[in-house]
Amino acid sequence: MKNLIFAEVYKLFKQGKTYYAIAAIFLIEIIILFSAYSQGQSILDVLLDNLSQSFHFEGNLLNGNLLIYLILNTLWFHLPLILIIIISGTLTSENKDRTLLSVMLQPVSKWKFILSKYIVAILFTLTIVLFLAITSFLFSYAIFGKGDLIVYIDTLNFFESSDAFYRIKYAFFFGGISMVFFSVVSLTLAIILEETTKTWIAAAFFLIISNILLKVNFNNYFLDNWLYVKLTDTWQYLFYFEIPWDKIYWNTSLLIVYTIVTMLVGIVIFNKKDIA
Amino acid sequence: MIISGQNLSKSYKSIKALNDVSITCSAGEIVGVVGANGSGKSTLFKILLRVMKPDAGTVTINSKRIKPIGGIIEKPALYEYLNAAENLRIFASMQGLETNRQFILDSLIKVGLPLNRKDPVRNFSMGMKQRLGIAIALLNNPECIVLDEPFSGLDPIGIASLNKLITSLATEEGLAILISSHILDELNKVCHRLNVLKHGKIIHSGTTQELLNKSTMAYVITATNITSSSILKTYNVAFKNNQATVIIQPDKISELLQILHSEHIYITSCVPEISMSKLFEN
Repeated sequence: MKNLIFAEVYKLFKQGKTYYAIAAIFLIEIIILFSAYSQGQSILDVLLDNLSQSFHFEGNLLNGNLLIYLILNTLWFHLPLILIIIISGTLTSENKDRTLLSVMLQPVSKWKFILSKYIVAILFTLTIVLFLAITSFLFSYAIFGKGDLIVYIDTLNFFESSDAFYRIKYAFFFGGISMVFFSVVSLTLAIILEETTKTWIAAAFFLIISNILLKVNFNNYFLDNWLYVKLTDTWQYLFYFEIPWDKIYWNTSLLIVYTIVTMLVGIVIFNKKDIA
Repeated sequence: MIISGQNLSKSYKSIKALNDVSITCSAGEIVGVVGANGSGKSTLFKILLRVMKPDAGTVTINSKRIKPIGGIIEKPALYEYLNAAENLRIFASMQGLETNRQFILDSLIKVGLPLNRKDPVRNFSMGMKQRLGIAIALLNNPECIVLDEPFSGLDPIGIASLNKLITSLATEEGLAILISSHILDELNKVCHRLNVLKHGKIIHSGTTQELLNKSTMAYVITATNITSSSILKTYNVAFKNNQATVIIQPDKISELLQILHSEHIYITSCVPEISMSKLFEN
């Protein structure tokens, strides 16, 4: 099992597309920072125009914490999209190149092979989120400095700089768990659909539907609390004035259970399938 | 006997890819499967390699080794972005083999691959990829290897050199080798026994010589003064330059060659012309 995991890591980092994906994430980050640097203050002025007539703001609101929060928002769509492309590609490309068949011709257990792919997918996802977190903290603080964070969720919330750092840090952690869920789903879709384009379409569709349904209020206790789409935005709860830790723990636990179940379903399907 | 597939059947939706096929191969033996595209060769080999489950029938492999069987299906599937040594290393490490430098060098030498190529295998010729595929199939010392269409995409030099490798694996290392192709001439050169697969059924099987004799309708005899032969004029013969294509039964050819010799016709080659339609006749 250890050998299979090492082999998967080795293959992942020997492929150019992995570095393209990391570069894409980095580029998104740079674009956000550049946009904020060139136009951020004027946008912020427009947004806060009404409020500034009633309140007096001290300090610069266009600061590192706001920028990290903006980068954090790539967890809605950009980051999971890039992750599902890479993660599903670890299997679909082996199907296309038929190396999956070559591996299965060796004395390698099918379930151990696919489990090692899931493990590496999870580790890679968490590494990418960590990379995003570290680089966004570094660049944002270096260019824009620290300051109070203003966030609009239902209402405008203001957080002091140290409190903002604490919240963003945990938001990355819980966001990482959501990203793992999307990565695991994309690998399971790759097992089912096998073909690259079909898997990308299905995984992107899954992501879009998840984001749409997230905004829907079902007015049903089960759907509003148990449906997976209501669990993938848990990192946003860190920016409520009072952090609902109970809700965060519940959602995260449930999402981890869904992730494990999705993995098990994928392993069972992979084991039953003929390798064409 | 190392490998035996008995009464194997497999269907894909409405198509019956294999229909009650039985095949065996012993240590040191090279058994060929000849068939047109879509005849079921790859399906049969996937079942023998246990990457596909048959709808009916059983596969028995009499080996206690960790890897009883290795093989290549259709064409060697390699990690194109890795070089030859890295490919060997990754396939070896997946199955828990220790891979030091000497092990990699030995594996490359065994299949006749150059040791100085460090570029990705995407730059390799098909012949080199086939060799690397065989080196990977041989990892962990299987007792049987299955090679599906190993000659496809190879030039004549590549084919000849692969033939030599396959023969040496059977004779020197005692491997049981199952090999499929639609290039009958090459199977003729290496196989001890042949099976003819048509529409998922084995329609003929036997020793290579026996089967090819049954399907040989003519011989191409090459000699510089072939047109001056008087005996050939009594046969149904077609001359072209210094070649004569003679329609004759296999059991009569040696007699004809002796007469030609007595007529001072200096023969440089005599090649059977195998009738594919006869071979694939039910």
